[in-house]
Amino acid sequence: MNNATSTDKLKQLWLLTRPYVFALGLAFLFTGIMLGLLGFNVWEAFKALITTSFSSKFQIVETFKKFTPLVLTTFAFAIPFQIKFFNIGSTGQMIMGGTIATMLGLGMSSFRVPSALAIILILTAAALTGAFYALIAGALKAYHNINPIISTIMLNFVAMQFTNFVATTPPWQAPLTGHPMSKELPKWMLLPRLFSELHIGFLIALGMVAFVYFIMKKTVIGYEIESVGHNQRAAEIHGINIKKTTLVTFFLGGLLAGLAGGIEVLGVHGRLVEGFAVTSGAEYGTFGTLTALISGAEPLAVPAVAFLMSILLNGADSLQRRLMVPVELVFLTQALIVILVVTMRERFRKR
Amino acid sequence: MAKDITNILEARGVSKRFGEVQALYKVDFSVRKGEIHGLLGENGAGKSTLMNILYGLYKPDEGEIYIEGKRVEIHSPLDSIRLGIGMIHQMSTLVPEFTAVENIVLGTEESGSRLNIDFSRARKEILELSEKFGLRFPLDVKVKELSAGTKQKIEIIRALYRKAKILILDEPTAYLVGDEFDQLLSSLKILVDNGVTVIFITHKIREVMQACHRASVLKGGRMQGTVDIEKTSKEELVSLMFTGQNIDVTDSALPNVIPEPVERSEKPVCVIKNLNTYPIVKDGIVLKDVSFEVYGGEIFGIAGISGNGQKELAEAIVNPSIIASGEVIINGKTTTNLSTIDIFKMGVFYTPEDRVYEAILPTASIKKNLLLGHHRDNAFLGRMRTLRWNRIKGVSRELIKRFNVKTPHEELEIRKLSGGNIQKVVFARALMNPIDLLVTHNPTAGLDMASVKFVFEQLLELRRNGKAVLYLNEDLDELMIVSDRIGVLHEGRLVGIFNRDEFDKNKIGALMIGG
Ligand SMILES: Nc1ncnc2c1ncn2[C@@H]1O[C@H](COP(=O)(O)OP(=O)(O)OP(=O)(O)O)[C@@H](O)[C@H]1O
Ligand SMILES: [Mg+2]
Repeated sequence: MNNATSTDKLKQLWLLTRPYVFALGLAFLFTGIMLGLLGFNVWEAFKALITTSFSSKFQIVETFKKFTPLVLTTFAFAIPFQIKFFNIGSTGQMIMGGTIATMLGLGMSSFRVPSALAIILILTAAALTGAFYALIAGALKAYHNINPIISTIMLNFVAMQFTNFVATTPPWQAPLTGHPMSKELPKWMLLPRLFSELHIGFLIALGMVAFVYFIMKKTVIGYEIESVGHNQRAAEIHGINIKKTTLVTFFLGGLLAGLAGGIEVLGVHGRLVEGFAVTSGAEYGTFGTLTALISGAEPLAVPAVAFLMSILLNGADSLQRRLMVPVELVFLTQALIVILVVTMRERFRKR
Repeated sequence: MAKDITNILEARGVSKRFGEVQALYKVDFSVRKGEIHGLLGENGAGKSTLMNILYGLYKPDEGEIYIEGKRVEIHSPLDSIRLGIGMIHQMSTLVPEFTAVENIVLGTEESGSRLNIDFSRARKEILELSEKFGLRFPLDVKVKELSAGTKQKIEIIRALYRKAKILILDEPTAYLVGDEFDQLLSSLKILVDNGVTVIFITHKIREVMQACHRASVLKGGRMQGTVDIEKTSKEELVSLMFTGQNIDVTDSALPNVIPEPVERSEKPVCVIKNLNTYPIVKDGIVLKDVSFEVYGGEIFGIAGISGNGQKELAEAIVNPSIIASGEVIINGKTTTNLSTIDIFKMGVFYTPEDRVYEAILPTASIKKNLLLGHHRDNAFLGRMRTLRWNRIKGVSRELIKRFNVKTPHEELEIRKLSGGNIQKVVFARALMNPIDLLVTHNPTAGLDMASVKFVFEQLLELRRNGKAVLYLNEDLDELMIVSDRIGVLHEGRLVGIFNRDEFDKNKIGALMIGG
């Protein structure tokens, strides 16, 4: 209506980003103090944390490689979170996806089918595995009102046992290794590289970002999910099936987490390795949860925050390697960011 | 400027802007010690905004506040409580899972050590207060099991327990039924006799005439003036509130609309046959063997004390999954096994009772709210089950114009609209497509007179076009203005049906309470 001047717009932008700027600033301040107290060179540490990811082609690729499963597990949490449910189970869904992918791949290894076909088959199977695994928690919520926080955590344990079983049992087990892992998948089944170590899983993940955006913003299903998130009772009265919507969000979330598992197996490890869903000291699922919380689960904010998080994680690895700073300190920073983002959003709410 | 010591509370030059909306502009407002001061104004006039500023929930852009002549800064409700201001919001702010005593003690410094609350002392004090002011309620029942009227009593006692000298009641009567208003009024009288000052927001001029000493009128964020009730008339108040609009009012201060004669359809649009339902909430009421018909060209009113099966009846029509036995037949077709969306597609729509918790997605845009319930209409669906947002936007703009919703654009969060404008959106959604049956529950709660008139006109327009309306309302006066017939619900049973020429407030009222 009234013509907003450019300073007005800047002010708007500042009001919008202010909580995040303060949260990040304070989180780094606290981390800096901790680093200092522990006797590390604060300047060097921060430099490593932030600039590592851009220091070489190798590091850029490493960052993208972290981003790929991270953005998927972030959505795995963010989609059910749209309707206020906590899917803590993306770890379980991811490793189930990876495990089934391995079993299928090893089973198919003696049939020479075209690479592309094999990859599509295996990734689809991984994604569907994750989806149906998440659906267990979704159904328990929809039909028996069991809190997904509890069911998904339980299902994580089951998934870990299953993965361990496959990695330590013939015919899948790799002979003569100490660490539980499976035999290698044939090379022709692995994800092709874009350049150096960067596999096409990165592109698939970007495709999935577009897919989630499309579902959430353009389709009826997305509108129904959003509506239930705004007001479940009103949504139900106006013809939205709450049970079905619950199932759909868990299915979609699990689909992406399962796909992340398949991509890690076919793109990074080439086999099932116990702990393949862990990066920088914790599961992709855990980092995904944090990332989703920071991004407010907004489909467009998710990839951006996931990318920043990948930079931090990659920086944390190098911090540990080069300066012997324990990665736990970076966990501390991340936890602080989450807590501070939430508090600052409250603090700066307009009165 | 000479200080007027009789003013316990004074606001000078208060302005507040929300984005493009100037909610208040240089408002002066003063309240005398020991009076009941009415605050009137149409929906969106700025009443709640002004009170929220006094209570420290909003920060004014400019202006000053004085209490007993002293300039004060109110940054949060903690400040205002300390200054002796208590506010009772329109929607209950009690913790549903707590009892009355727990709710009242919660968050007070007087509760002794935080780990060891002195409940017996608190109980004694609460009992004394409720005896003194005639506000009685069960102390040890979880408040979620209590009626709106009882919860309000608890909120008033909570404010008094915190030593409030000035009580702000924001639309305390919107959800009161039967004689609850008279009860509230007599308590308020005792309060002011004891030196408490009351600010009373309402849309009902009749209540202001009955209860208040003075009243102020806000319009479009500006103060229109303050009048002495003894020296004014309801016509003068109406003209202050709605300058330039011509609103004819009834004796009970409702807009006076007169239904014209209309031919009733031969076949009923909606047949309710031996309907029994499951409860909507756990251990809630159920419908028992309810049967009646609603014809085209008819407004069928449902009267009853709140909670006697109105919600169950309304919902059974659009959501057959709560039907235990019996059936609902729309235009000759049974709804058994149909979904809500199927029923909407048969030409039925529903505006539920609770505007904020049932009718809207408060944090979504007006556009997305208009879509709700129509989101599977073929007109809005493109390929691959995509929504045609451009079309939805176009339709939203048309509806905003057609229903005269006051908003800068269709992307505004709906909760930022005033109550009257929210209700216009709810009606716009219901009447977006031609429908045969409208089920509407308490559509006028909290609406100003112009908006009530708007709602009545919408119902009469449907009737004129030969459509059927099932109109559920706890306010008998309102029902009697527009209904052709009135059915009375009591404890889940339909205990009587009256034709318009038999309408009798006493007879219907007696049936409502089971007489
Ligand atoms: N938080 C907010 N953000 C944006 N606009 C707001 C906000 N709160 C109120 N408004 C706008 O300010 C104006 C005044 O609103 P207010 O709630 O004070 O009206 P009211 O007189 O209490 O109306 P009602 O009788 O409908 O409750 C309205 O136009 C409303 O849309
Ligand atoms: Mg208000």
